[in-house]
Amino acid sequence: MASTPSRFGGQTLNGNPAASKRTAGQASLEVGPDGKKPRFHGCSKISNYIMMSKLGEGTFGEVHKAESRVTGQIVAMKKILMHNEKDGFPITAIREIKLLKMLSHPNILKLEEMAIERTKGEGRKKAIMYMVTPYMDHDLSGLLENPSVHFTEPQIKCYMIQLLEGVAYLHASKILHRDMKAANLLINNHGILQIADFGLARPYDDPPPQGGKGGGEATRDYTTLVVTRWYRPPELLLTLRKYTSAIDMWGVGCVFGEMFKGRPILQGSTDLNQIHLIFDLMGSPNEENMPGWSTLLGCEGVKSFPQRKSTLSQTFREQGPSFVSLLGELLKLDWRKRVNAIDALEHPYFKSSPLPAKPGEIPQFQESHELDRKKFREQKANLPPAPAGGTVGMGPDGDFINGASNSNHHGQYRPRGGLGGYLNDQQPYPPRHNGYEFRQHGPQREFRGPPPPPGPPPSQSRRPAWPPEANGLPPRPPPPINPVWGGQVHRGSVPRDEIRGRPPPREGGVAGGPRVDTYIPSYANRDDGHRDRDDGRRGREDGQRRDERGDRGRQGERREQEHRDPGRRRSRSPERDRNRELYRR
Amino acid sequence: MEPEAEQFSSLSNPLATVDQLSTSSSQLDGVPADLESSLRFAGAQLTQAAGILLRLPQEIIAQAIVIFHRFYLGSEGGSFRINALKDVSAASLYMTAKISFLPQSTRSVLNVYAYLLSPTSPLRQPLEGTAGKEKPDAESYCLSEGSYQAARATLLQTESIILRAISFITQVTLPHHVALTYLQTLGVLPPSPTEKSSALAARTLAHLNTALFSPQLLYLTHQPPALAVAAIYLAAREVEVKLPSTEWWEVFDVDRETLGFLVVGLGSCEGWIQSEKEKWTETSCPLTLDELEEDVKRRG
Repeated sequence: MASTPSRFGGQTLNGNPAASKRTAGQASLEVGPDGKKPRFHGCSKISNYIMMSKLGEGTFGEVHKAESRVTGQIVAMKKILMHNEKDGFPITAIREIKLLKMLSHPNILKLEEMAIERTKGEGRKKAIMYMVTPYMDHDLSGLLENPSVHFTEPQIKCYMIQLLEGVAYLHASKILHRDMKAANLLINNHGILQIADFGLARPYDDPPPQGGKGGGEATRDYTTLVVTRWYRPPELLLTLRKYTSAIDMWGVGCVFGEMFKGRPILQGSTDLNQIHLIFDLMGSPNEENMPGWSTLLGCEGVKSFPQRKSTLSQTFREQGPSFVSLLGELLKLDWRKRVNAIDALEHPYFKSSPLPAKPGEIPQFQESHELDRKKFREQKANLPPAPAGGTVGMGPDGDFINGASNSNHHGQYRPRGGLGGYLNDQQPYPPRHNGYEFRQHGPQREFRGPPPPPGPPPSQSRRPAWPPEANGLPPRPPPPINPVWGGQVHRGSVPRDEIRGRPPPREGGVAGGPRVDTYIPSYANRDDGHRDRDDGRRGREDGQRRDERGDRGRQGERREQEHRDPGRRRSRSPERDRNRELYRR
Repeated sequence: MEPEAEQFSSLSNPLATVDQLSTSSSQLDGVPADLESSLRFAGAQLTQAAGILLRLPQEIIAQAIVIFHRFYLGSEGGSFRINALKDVSAASLYMTAKISFLPQSTRSVLNVYAYLLSPTSPLRQPLEGTAGKEKPDAESYCLSEGSYQAARATLLQTESIILRAISFITQVTLPHHVALTYLQTLGVLPPSPTEKSSALAARTLAHLNTALFSPQLLYLTHQPPALAVAAIYLAAREVEVKLPSTEWWEVFDVDRETLGFLVVGLGSCEGWIQSEKEKWTETSCPLTLDELEEDVKRRG
């Protein structure tokens, strides 16, 4: 059904080219696309779907794979739990739904509809609502962690083009995603990449980027409490409030590098560490490469940085000058000059050999979800024990991690037939994520990786795929404090600064007026018990990532660490925690 | 990778179908059609009044009224006998404000509604004339903690019910900004406003705001450009501003018939509101479920 109400008139937003491309099959304004169906009615019922398997679960809710009885389409259904919610229906969910209903692009995850499960004795009990989206087999982060998956350069180019197309469409539609990262990019076995998770997105009030003009300038303030730290651009870390669509482009650059390196390229442990890593890679800021940087508020009060030269071409020397050129454009410190999506698509990188693959040429990878994993566990049990000290957790080729810097990776393209076997092989290392429920997992999702091999004591034989310190995912930013809606402080503030050691946002914001961007009320009455639980959970989730590399032996140790250091291990989107708080209650 | 035939909706709204307009849950539940229209009017009025008291911009209030109308639409929509219009009005306004950038606390919203629903509130008095009006009695609209908690639970539950009924389509595109753009395009809104051009703009927006109360649910049957064109047409005639003598509405993709229908629809609003005023002089329009039950019973 929802397909119906979302098919509106043929107008495009601002007549932008990306949007107008898709007006070919204009629906009439007065009738539904099929000429009679009502275009405006309630949600569909859960009974329209056959639940197939659980893909994951967490505090946010369960995610199921399901088949539509109406269309036969395979979908993912994300449950929106309505606990005793203080402010009613989760505002992030409403906003995400609202945005998704307005967007339509092959590289944006589509919200098919909302499905309702009516519980018995309606009235007292609340209905359970599901967001129905197409089923995607992987998310980029999970796929990169899968040791059996090797990205070829044509494949990376193909993904990058799709990513840039999607971002160009978003920006042309005047929407900022604000949480660009590998985990939010879903990929299916037809080689299609889609941008997901619009929980932090918001309309952009300034002119969309134009070809050749970078990100342009913003005229109003937005909240800086956005974007997962590892993907957060320098201007946000230095507290620029008038930021532009260029913040998403930085994230695209990070993902670009990540596809080659196989892991996030800038894994800061704190905001300050993050900005240092950025300046290590891109050179320290000066008035030339980042005009106006010194007038920004700085990062945690720090405003001076040691002189450094860019190490970009050194770090990515094996990827070739054309790659370095594009990455350098995407990771430009100067947000005004940082390339926009329109121009990035025209970069010579995409026109040089090896040429981008077509989505259909990309090999298929075996899907894997939480419950599938049991199956893999059994398979795994029959495998020989992992070699001591070896690169356990990597693929049969052993070069999953290092492969990124392996020059033989270059231009290496496996014809489809060569990989066909993956689908039938007993794959011990399936992709870990399915790309739907990532951030919302509770502790149940801890055991996502392959099971420990029976056999030698794991503590020494299993190493993380990369140095452990690089594994600690960063904590998310604090939830927005003192949200300001139209200049008034809406709800009580929560002294949560100690978590990040960050100065509290100025009450009332910089402008102090209605132009200040906010997105979410803070939640004043959280008790410490909650927070501890939350943090513990966060830590474990994070551990999950390590587990996925087969690092099971370290589990006990990790648990302890979490206990001591609950806040430092998870790359979490800024708002997620708040959601978690919300959903738990 | 061909894009699917999906549309971007920031300039258009989902519209009601003929089926949805010809029948409604409320009617199936035994609410006579004329009473239903009165209830819709009362709900829109209540929402508007509450929005003003909450000092919300008209943009949010108008969106809330449209969502209120969407909720009670069609046989799959809500029914006035199940979900009281006061609750739906409050939840529409609360939710619309929440997703805007001026969210209101549940307490502010409920305080305002407690005031507006109290027996001595201006809304419960005859709409015109000061004669016989009682002064609002502060005790009658004081919201105790217990009733606040109960009202809050109802508010949040109603919010969920609304979201489901409107299929989560919270996007409401208003014709107001469209109308201003059209006025500029027509060259009747010079950069430095004259008395006449200001009057024209004000009258255009007034028509658009009045249309929110139309029993014909104009916001659910016509797209923003059509509403904007009709409002401009009518306002220009009233303020006596000369518009191009050609069929200028064609430029905005509005045909003559649509324009004619809407001009009549907008023009009839005044009479409709007047008749509502006269209709509810003795009693006020039933705003709560109990009042509605009584009213339906009295009609037999």
